[in-house]
Amino acid sequence: MVGPNRNILRTILIASYIMIVALIIYGVSAVFSYLNTGADRSTMLHTEIQKIEQYLPKVEWEPIQNEGRSIDDQTLNTIQSNYLDAWYVKQIAYNTNKTAGIKDYYTDSARENLYSFIELNKAENTTIEATTLRHNPTLEFFSEDGQLAVITDRNVIEYKRIFKADSLVLEIKETSSYKIVFLLEDGFWRIRHMVKELTEPTNDNPKIVSVDSLNIKGINYYPQANPWDMFGDAFSTDIISKDFKIIKDAGLNSVRLFVQYDDFGKEHVHTEKLKKLKQTLDVAEAYNLGVVLTLFDFYGDYSVMSWTLNQRHAETIVDAVKDHNALLAWDIKNEPNLDFESRGKENVIAWLDNMIDLVKSVDDTHPVTIGWSNTQSATILKDKVDFVSFHYYEDLEDLDEAIKSMKNDIPDKPLVLQEFGLSSYSGFWKPFGASDEDQANYHKKIQEHIATHGLQFMSWTLYDFTEIPTEVVGKLPWRKNAQKHFGFIDKNGAKKASFKYISN
Amino acid sequence: MQLKLTYLFLFGLILVSSFAMVQQNESATKIELLSTDTNFEVGQTIVLKFSASQNDKPLLYCSNSYGSTLISATIKNETLEFLIPENMSKKTGVVNWKLLHNTNALSGKFSIQPKAEVATMETYIGPPSIEAGGTDYTMLVVIPTDSLDNPVPQNTLVNAKHQFLDSEESEAIYTNNLIAFKNIYSKKESGRMLISSESLGVNSKEFTINVAAAIPTDFTISAARPHDYADGNQITTFSTSIIKDKQNNVVSDGTFVTFFIKNQKQNILKTTGTTINGVATAKMIHPDFADDWKITAYVDSMSESNSISLNYKQVIEDFEVAFEDNNRTITIGPLQSFMQQMIPDGLYVKLNIYKDNQLIDTLTKTSFNGYVTFKLKPAIYQDGDYNFSISTAGLTKEFNSKKLW
Repeated sequence: MVGPNRNILRTILIASYIMIVALIIYGVSAVFSYLNTGADRSTMLHTEIQKIEQYLPKVEWEPIQNEGRSIDDQTLNTIQSNYLDAWYVKQIAYNTNKTAGIKDYYTDSARENLYSFIELNKAENTTIEATTLRHNPTLEFFSEDGQLAVITDRNVIEYKRIFKADSLVLEIKETSSYKIVFLLEDGFWRIRHMVKELTEPTNDNPKIVSVDSLNIKGINYYPQANPWDMFGDAFSTDIISKDFKIIKDAGLNSVRLFVQYDDFGKEHVHTEKLKKLKQTLDVAEAYNLGVVLTLFDFYGDYSVMSWTLNQRHAETIVDAVKDHNALLAWDIKNEPNLDFESRGKENVIAWLDNMIDLVKSVDDTHPVTIGWSNTQSATILKDKVDFVSFHYYEDLEDLDEAIKSMKNDIPDKPLVLQEFGLSSYSGFWKPFGASDEDQANYHKKIQEHIATHGLQFMSWTLYDFTEIPTEVVGKLPWRKNAQKHFGFIDKNGAKKASFKYISN
Repeated sequence: MQLKLTYLFLFGLILVSSFAMVQQNESATKIELLSTDTNFEVGQTIVLKFSASQNDKPLLYCSNSYGSTLISATIKNETLEFLIPENMSKKTGVVNWKLLHNTNALSGKFSIQPKAEVATMETYIGPPSIEAGGTDYTMLVVIPTDSLDNPVPQNTLVNAKHQFLDSEESEAIYTNNLIAFKNIYSKKESGRMLISSESLGVNSKEFTINVAAAIPTDFTISAARPHDYADGNQITTFSTSIIKDKQNNVVSDGTFVTFFIKNQKQNILKTTGTTINGVATAKMIHPDFADDWKITAYVDSMSESNSISLNYKQVIEDFEVAFEDNNRTITIGPLQSFMQQMIPDGLYVKLNIYKDNQLIDTLTKTSFNGYVTFKLKPAIYQDGDYNFSISTAGLTKEFNSKKLW
């Protein structure tokens, strides 16, 4: 009777001993191997020099007809790159009132001019956040020995925010022309002289696009299996085609799609993503569905220094699909008012304002809107957008009042209820949540409101999802689970009761 | 009733007067620009004046070629005065301003004009070396600047001056795009060109451009040698005529000339030299056997010379070979030159050793005091019959079935 017990004890002791030894050996070896890792040997050679794009305003050279020596593309590119860097270090210097970087891009005597401004602004506690959005340089002269160049940069659009003691006192946009002399010193094209020849406040009068024919009856769309990752590896035109058929058959005429900033490659847009986007639009065209394309999804940095990068992103995408028949409208950003608190309301609004100008400068035929997350924000930039979009997830009882107030503030532009819906989740994390019937009821009611006020609409959303990325609603399980059940069709593909009220 | 009317009247009076006061307030805050100048000369003190009767001191935003700033006001005699900071008033270009006032957002601009004054002549010239002949040129670029380091006004006269040989020229050029430039062409002659420039009485320093001769034309070569014997000792010196370009300029010192020598066996020997004052020389040691050389010189891919021929006479007609010490010591000599003098040390002698008609070894030695001795060691060349062939100065002698023991 004693034997087996003892044996069990022994086995346990030996096993735990082995376990402890194994763990110690594992730990020591992990530390050892960590200490043995170092820099990759190939980095010793410094073979790769990666240029990080930090400043990419739109640069359009006039045809090259300069005096002096004819220039080659490589030199012209170097001049451009150094010139933009000169602007970049200047913006940084005036923003921080520090002189770092200036001496690389301005000659000995030219940099004095910048230093004196920095000194003055530092003493007065003035800082300037600025960027240039557009350059239109002409090469005037390139010397025979290739060491000196003169350019005239016309219609430089400068955006500036002037702060006094950290509070914003002025926001200004100017269009100026500069004449600049460059010298090639130490491999840098440095600015020797810079003379502002013309300047005036920028007049942004982008064309207002007619929205008379706009009649959006649509839905926000993500595929069921890969929401918020529509253009990833799981991209399938077959699935999209099937879904668009459902949408079309339900009597809707449009979908709202999202282009994510990082996913599409930031300032250098990935061509394969663009290809997938175009394929999606092709499918939409096949089903005669219009597409409202929301840009800058999952993007939240509105800082002035990033504007040029953002604008290159938007420009590439807009330019790529602006002629597509399925395209209905541009939605600059989804729910930007949610970033007011963390990023500053002025920052966000200025960013949106300038982004609208940019999108309209590339595509002046499609209307532009902003997907505000509530009715209170909808009046912001109402004169810039072609139609006003807002989302509504609040109590239906207040909708009537909110719409009336909006119509009062915005009498001349169509209102699009761009997102609305009710989660039919009721379970562990939300025991008293809405049922499928409640959801159906909600959609029935809201469609009545929509009909009463003659709103255009896009509901949220076609499917119940099984996976919600953390970026969408955060990590909290009651939020995530609720977000999974906004669909008109459940995760098994069965139409929920609400499907009946998907359209009016 | 009377009382009520009085109250009403009083109340109305207060109301009216308060309106009047409000209006007065409004007119008081009305700010207007008093300064009328919109053109200033650089360096001048610039003050923007606005009318203001209230102690309201708005900021003025101001931006010039290099940057922007905010300026605070001072109030003098009920006028708002903004002194444009010195770092802005001393740079040329357009300055735009905006008054930061809630109700009177005035804005405008003025222009700071360059002075007709030159303090420094920033001069750039290049390329520093050009080719004679009138097609190549160097470019003079001048950036005249005033004492405040501003470029001078458009169309400022600059005299571009240059001296070359007997000519001294001065040409008027005008600033455009902040600079003035001129292409200075070479003349037919090579030499040094001195360049300077002048504007509004201020002169630049002197710059030198080297005008080098153009590419060389064909030339002739000659050879000089102490004697025409193939003694493998003396040196033949080749030299070119004075190499010139098509304008008759002597090519630059250091022009590289290659002499190709083709001998009777069609082998090519090569020797090189660089020119000094147009003449390049190169040397080659005499062959040690009778030979005919044909020599042509080239400046690579530019020009070539005529061909000359040289003949070298045989100096050694015959030589003696002695086998001693069991045929293991082979002495060759005396090796005698054209006057029967002993050949100078260093003549190559080659010994081929054959066993059973197989070449087993080749030994080479150079002559010393007219003799060459080969010693065949027993440890290496075992006893037996060998064939030998000995060659020197283009002659070969064979010795068959020599027995070593």
